[in-house]
Amino acid sequence: MAGKSGREISAVPEGGLKSKILSWEGALVLILIAVNIFGVIVSPVYNATNVLREMPKYLAEAFMVFGMGYILVLGDIDISVGSIVCLCSTVACFAGNAGAPFPVVMIACIGTGLLCGLLNGFIATRFTELPTMIITLGTQIIFRGIAEVSLGSGGSISMSDTTGLKALATKIGPFPLSFFLIIIGAVIFITILNKTTFGRKMYACGSNQTAAKYAGIEVQKMRLTAFAFMGVQAGICAIFLLSTLFGANTTTGNGFEMEVIAMCVFGGIATTGGKGNLLGGFIAAFIIFCIRIVLGQKNVNTQLVLVIIGLMLILSVVIPAISQAFKKKPKV
Amino acid sequence: MKKKSFLAKLTGSREVSLLLVLIVLLIVITILSPTFLAPANIAQIFRNNALTFVMALGMLCVMLTAGIDISITSTLAFAGMTIGLLQKYNVIHNTFLLFVIGTLIGVGCGFINGLIIAKAKVAPIICTMGFMYIWRGMAYVISNNNWASGADVAGFSDFGKDGSPGPYVILIVVYVLFFIIMKWTRFGRRIYAVGSNAEAARVSGINVDRTVISVYTIMGLLAGLAGVLSVSIYASAQPNMQYGKEMDVIAACVIGGVSMNGGRGSVTGTFLGALIIAIIAKALPLVGIDAIAQNLVKGIIILAVVILNVVTQRMMDRQNLLRREM
Repeated sequence: MAGKSGREISAVPEGGLKSKILSWEGALVLILIAVNIFGVIVSPVYNATNVLREMPKYLAEAFMVFGMGYILVLGDIDISVGSIVCLCSTVACFAGNAGAPFPVVMIACIGTGLLCGLLNGFIATRFTELPTMIITLGTQIIFRGIAEVSLGSGGSISMSDTTGLKALATKIGPFPLSFFLIIIGAVIFITILNKTTFGRKMYACGSNQTAAKYAGIEVQKMRLTAFAFMGVQAGICAIFLLSTLFGANTTTGNGFEMEVIAMCVFGGIATTGGKGNLLGGFIAAFIIFCIRIVLGQKNVNTQLVLVIIGLMLILSVVIPAISQAFKKKPKV
Repeated sequence: MKKKSFLAKLTGSREVSLLLVLIVLLIVITILSPTFLAPANIAQIFRNNALTFVMALGMLCVMLTAGIDISITSTLAFAGMTIGLLQKYNVIHNTFLLFVIGTLIGVGCGFINGLIIAKAKVAPIICTMGFMYIWRGMAYVISNNNWASGADVAGFSDFGKDGSPGPYVILIVVYVLFFIIMKWTRFGRRIYAVGSNAEAARVSGINVDRTVISVYTIMGLLAGLAGVLSVSIYASAQPNMQYGKEMDVIAACVIGGVSMNGGRGSVTGTFLGALIIAIIAKALPLVGIDAIAQNLVKGIIILAVVILNVVTQRMMDRQNLLRREM
């Protein structure tokens, strides 16, 4: 079961083209195509150039899908990532304004993320009785609290020297740099999760921690790694977010944690652990970006996107449950 | 029988240890700022945190069944926005009717949550996350990015304005009611049974699905009530009201000793948990800590409380083990 998508649409034997198309990832690709066709029909300015131009605003969030996917596969959850992004951006701005060269700013930003992630992981592995939801609820408030205190009464800071950030926002051909990094990241992380021993161990931990422990897997070490990893990716997200916003305030990254979890869950990763495929989360992220761009261009109430994301999330978990209930009924 | 050690006595009951923390806290604050315990100030604390107090009760019920509801502040915004708009466009101005409508909207939202969680077996955090987006989005859509201002809700806001007994009456009624329900009624005990061991509860004849649905419906009801209260207390309705405050409610429950794995927690503990957070928020500026550091202190306290809880639990387990070996 491990490694397969968290959801089944129809029972087909594994392998072969039919199972690929009927998998949850296949359905997601179809939804992505449908959203794009819908976009082209309703909006005259919806084309590749415009989509790619608006993409960088949203792309930064996609970096965190990988880390969150790993954490969810382990059966944990991290709701502090939005605050980590806020703290990282703040630290980066302070470092930049203090005159540090851009590479140092980047290291400071990602390093802050790593520290935050390590703190989460440290508490989670030392006090295994605590649900990670509570731990990260506490650190969520703490990380944003640190950012709030350091930002002072003004509550915002902007980067004075933006040359380095602008370099990050450059485009290679029509594609923004972050787009390439996300594709490369996706290939690497999906391969690690699906094809390496490390990845398979993650599924083992998520399915049954006790069994994994007795099979000789260092469960706590894997969890610490996953949380540290998540922190690093929040740092990367922060630096790319800065390259479009050029500053930070106390509400930077507000609600990111739920959006990233929503992308993963919509992509078929179960929050109970051990199930799901990172590829699904990756495609789901792009579906949500495309819907946002279409609605933005159509000038409809932009908050309608919240209703759509919510509905997709609910439907994507309810429909498989209902179809399974129907499948089971005749047997009884 | 050996006498219980002093430490075990203190930590044995979560409510007692919370009460001790509260008393120590109050003594320290009163020494630093003697006017803190003035009746007006205390009334202010309850009024400003009435929403958290009310919703914490619903969250207690939900967490007792090992669930969680993060859609509450969106339900609050949707219900609050609806009654705000009803007044803005001069449809209804009757305070009682507005309360009924807002609460009913909450009941509806909660019922859908419960239905999906109980019948489709969706993880509570996922289901409520979906509705967190949906109701918040609906609040924006129905308001069309408009506000209901103080002038729009003029007559209605008398209920919750400074000095009016309205919010206090609601708080007292709700807490007394829930204290009785959770402690002495069949329904309350059923919630504990389902949370402790759902399978055992099912076998012993409890309709688990119905209990879960009613728990989320209660949560929705209280969230809707909080939405109406919010419009009344703050004399305005905006689609982004109380954004992100669901975590405060969960934090109040967690500090109050409600377990996330279900089956453990009490109305008294929840009340004390919410009260401790409220007092700290109010007291920080008085004891000379910048109001900006409020969140930082709150987060550290949450982590400290839960970690301390684990440590004392481990110590007690070890002592029990030693006693058994002797």
